[in-house]
Amino acid sequence: MTASFLRLTGVTKSYDGRGGIVGFSLDVAAGESVVIVGPSGSGKTTLLRLVAGLERPDAGEIWLEGRTVAGPKRNLVAPHDRGLGFVFQDLALWPHLSVCRNLEFVLGSAAVPHVRRTERIEEALRLCRIGAHLADRYPHQLSGGEQQRVALARALVGAPRLLLLDEPLSSLDPELRVSLRGELASLRRQLHLTMIYVTHDADDAAILADRTVTLRSGRVQSGA
Amino acid sequence: MWGFQSSRMVAIGSAATVFVVVSLLPVVYMFALALASPGAWAATILDDRQRGLLVNTTALGVGSAAFATAIGAPLGFIFARVPLRFTAGLRLTLLAPFLLPPYLIALAWIYLEGMLRKVLPAAAVAALPDPYTLGGAIVALTVVFYPLAMIATEVGLRRVEARLEEAALLVARPGRVLWRITWPLVAPSVLSAALVIFVLAISEFSVPGLLRVRVFTTEIFTAFAALYDFGRATVLAVPLLIVSIAVAATAAFLARDRVLVTRRGLYGSPIVPSEAWTVMAAAFAGAAVVLTVVLPVAAITREAFRADSMAAVIEGSRAAVGNSLVAATIGATAITATAICLGYARARTLAAGAAAVDVLWIVLFTVPSTVVGIGLIGVWNRPAPWGWFYGTDAMLVIGYMARFLPVAALASAAAIRSVPTSHEEAAAVSGSRWLRTMAHIVVPPIRLGLLAVWAIVLILSFGEVGTSILVAPAGESTLPIRVYTMTANAAPGQVATLALFQSLVILGPLVVIAIVLSKRNGH
Repeated sequence: MTASFLRLTGVTKSYDGRGGIVGFSLDVAAGESVVIVGPSGSGKTTLLRLVAGLERPDAGEIWLEGRTVAGPKRNLVAPHDRGLGFVFQDLALWPHLSVCRNLEFVLGSAAVPHVRRTERIEEALRLCRIGAHLADRYPHQLSGGEQQRVALARALVGAPRLLLLDEPLSSLDPELRVSLRGELASLRRQLHLTMIYVTHDADDAAILADRTVTLRSGRVQSGA
Repeated sequence: MWGFQSSRMVAIGSAATVFVVVSLLPVVYMFALALASPGAWAATILDDRQRGLLVNTTALGVGSAAFATAIGAPLGFIFARVPLRFTAGLRLTLLAPFLLPPYLIALAWIYLEGMLRKVLPAAAVAALPDPYTLGGAIVALTVVFYPLAMIATEVGLRRVEARLEEAALLVARPGRVLWRITWPLVAPSVLSAALVIFVLAISEFSVPGLLRVRVFTTEIFTAFAALYDFGRATVLAVPLLIVSIAVAATAAFLARDRVLVTRRGLYGSPIVPSEAWTVMAAAFAGAAVVLTVVLPVAAITREAFRADSMAAVIEGSRAAVGNSLVAATIGATAITATAICLGYARARTLAAGAAAVDVLWIVLFTVPSTVVGIGLIGVWNRPAPWGWFYGTDAMLVIGYMARFLPVAALASAAAIRSVPTSHEEAAAVSGSRWLRTMAHIVVPPIRLGLLAVWAIVLILSFGEVGTSILVAPAGESTLPIRVYTMTANAAPGQVATLALFQSLVILGPLVVIAIVLSKRNGH
């Protein structure tokens, strides 16, 4: 039971009897990158939200590093105690905080000492190739690609044990998408990240996945 | 399609002309008149009496805004985030104090304070503010205006994208997320509501008038109606007008497109408090209902039943009731029709110009009712043909339009903005003319919103007193004017009977809607 870094067993989640996922099981090893592919409405985003603790499963269990974090109709561990990084599809950068403050909020919440915060923020910005001149800008003052990098930096600055990415490149133009996809693959190798990446793009899966799981109508079609 | 003779141009041009003549011109006239009489300034602005007025007016505004926000903002949070039963009905019930004419709340407060003095121990009685003081006026206006803070907070919170909170919940506890992420995003809405309440409180005439608290609005009314000193009334209006415009403009800038607009966030779960908080929230909302709705209505009802003959009192005011209902219905219909055209123009205008129009409308809505009344007299009390309307019941409708057309246009614009432009364009390329497109494409999806605009304007007009008491033709009266004047020379039971009747006319339909909504929504 403890061999997997993340384990989902028979997880079901539906919304008013519709959508979601049905009896989903998955094992993810430490350092592994699993890409979930499937058409719109197949339950990909629901899966990430369940792992993050933003939704409660109707049935089944979720284990993280050998500890049960969610059971039927209840979350046993709050989202902020799961040690996750999450890049949302719409990025969800806090509009009233500058780039630097977006990252600082994460570290402040984790009670990282003030003296170490600047160092950690600079490290995250460097890793994600965000120029220092952007640190004091607000999200609306950034280009789409820059916003994407900031969202990734925010997810990484807390040194998460598991990184969840929900179609983070879907809104970018093809050229930028290829470039950022390559950077993400390189970053993953560099940091030995355990990662679940949701997409409907086969190229993303080919470059980022150690393993690909295909979902259709909330059920695993292949790969789990 | 925007051609000079197109139906769209004619409709919007007519509505804009009505707006300029009826709403804008009286205020501009007051300004121009004051600037043209510099001699009156030194005599009226700089003496101790005026400084006292300024202190009282400021204290009334600050006190009412602070307390109304302190009560309304938590209620707004409750309605936005706490899963209470019967939320729709509860929300509508708590809106009642704002929909009742402010002087009814002041009357209720007078009756209630009298009742409490008889039943409470001496120590508690000593702590009660005397209604006939500045503190008493602040209590009444707090009750009148907290629903505005409540709605602004709820709308602000509903506009916060759930994803922004979720992203923070992954790294922080809910309390920290509320303080660092949610609050900064909703703060402009709450602050702008507080500023609007400040302006509405310093612009209010009936409550300080009834409670004999000397502020600018009552002084303006006295200068005009008792001393017949038009020049003094005009000059006294200017400081109030400047403060109102400056603060309302700031509020409009802070709120920007948050005004009256709700936008559903992307799907996700906002922060929902725990079970213990739900119980506390229910207790707080329940206490608000009891203290600000049930007790005031009960106090008026108890006083009304002390009248010798309630039927005779109502019978004696039949003409006033009829005048009120007819004028308010005509006014609400004319205002809504004009507001739809103005709102359409605003909704389909470029952002920069639209923001300026929003500011103008908010500013005009906050102009004190007595100032509007005197401005209307100055503009319309002239020889024929311009003065044909003056001295007729049409002046009541014009008064309602002057006061409520700006806010109705603001609300209509918000509703029309929710209809995508592409729907109209699709109708246009299909060969539909503008009026037909409006009737079949634009209005149907927002008809309930426009009906709500009509109903709220009807209620506000039905309770309007500050402007109508100045412009009503001699010998004619409306129900609010009759209630207000009777407070000076009739038995409390008679006044309470009319106040109760007026409350029932306003609250009756509201109660029916609340029950229907509660049954429909369940939780």
